[in-house]
Amino acid sequence: MECSQFKANLIDFRQGTLEEELHRSANLHLSSCPSCSRLMKGLDEVDELIEREKALDPGPFVATRILQRIDREFETPVAIKTPGWIRVLQPVAVALALICGILIGSNASKSDGVPADNLAKTTDNIEFLRSNLYISDFMDEDKVLDLNK
Amino acid sequence: MTEPELIKGILQRDHRAFECLVNRYQKQVIKTASYFLGNMEDAEDLSQEIFIDIIYSINSFKQNSSLSTWIYRITVNKSLNMVKKQQRRGIMVRLESLFSHSAEHHTRHDPEPSISPDGVAEQEKRQLLHAAINRLPENQRIAFVLHKFDDQSYKQIAEIMKTGLPAVESLIHRAKLNLQQKLMYQFSEYKKT
Ligand SMILES: [Zn+2]
Repeated sequence: MECSQFKANLIDFRQGTLEEELHRSANLHLSSCPSCSRLMKGLDEVDELIEREKALDPGPFVATRILQRIDREFETPVAIKTPGWIRVLQPVAVALALICGILIGSNASKSDGVPADNLAKTTDNIEFLRSNLYISDFMDEDKVLDLNK
Repeated sequence: MTEPELIKGILQRDHRAFECLVNRYQKQVIKTASYFLGNMEDAEDLSQEIFIDIIYSINSFKQNSSLSTWIYRITVNKSLNMVKKQQRRGIMVRLESLFSHSAEHHTRHDPEPSISPDGVAEQEKRQLLHAAINRLPENQRIAFVLHKFDDQSYKQIAEIMKTGLPAVESLIHRAKLNLQQKLMYQFSEYKKT
């Protein structure tokens, strides 16, 4: 067998799928040809390299990192935990805001030609409520008052 | 969790389904990606994006194949895209170094080679191998990597690549021939030096 023929049959030779007679003569050529035997060693080395690469495994914490990334991507907004006292005060504040709204509304309807005294009193009341209840959600009511002044 | 339960859970964005998905497929995804990219660190980073992709596109999974096959397809596509990006970046780096004549620049960018017992740098050999694999036509590359590195059968590769068995056989044979041409001299020459 010539070198060119050996190279042409190299894949089948290495896979062991060459016909018996061809395989024998390829073997014979290999044992007597330094060039082809160097070539075989080179390809053996590639196979060994691939086998070593196949044995490598991912790091131990990689699953955690993937899950963290997924959580960041698909995180659902967590309900903001409100302190108990705010939860108790919230309905009170809503009720007060409603009462204020009614008061302001009725004042505004009566305000034609009436001095702004009543309105000032309402503002004082709101300030009183705000300072006593620590409620800062009266901004909108203030705006209503400003508009009415 | 069965496969249909898992798919349903992912569709509902259920955290337990995410956990199950990652635990079941992380090794497959990362190892396959690493065979295309040529290193584990990049594959681990890319795997995060692969899983995000899987979750986002799970509603397009038609269940004509197994979930594993479908995940293989996403992994291969994402990995090939990453290789393209890296190659573009590599061209930029080479262009930069062409215009920069500083020797210091070169030493800074060359990774420290790890020397294997036979005195030849393992990492360098691996880079040589993957550079050769990355020069194969894309279909040959996919078939070869899935067969040779991932130990997938021709039938499984045919399913992943949505092609027939004879096509896979031919792709793998041509890939081996091409690689033989590209590598055998490099490796045997390498050994001599
Ligand atoms: Zn010969």
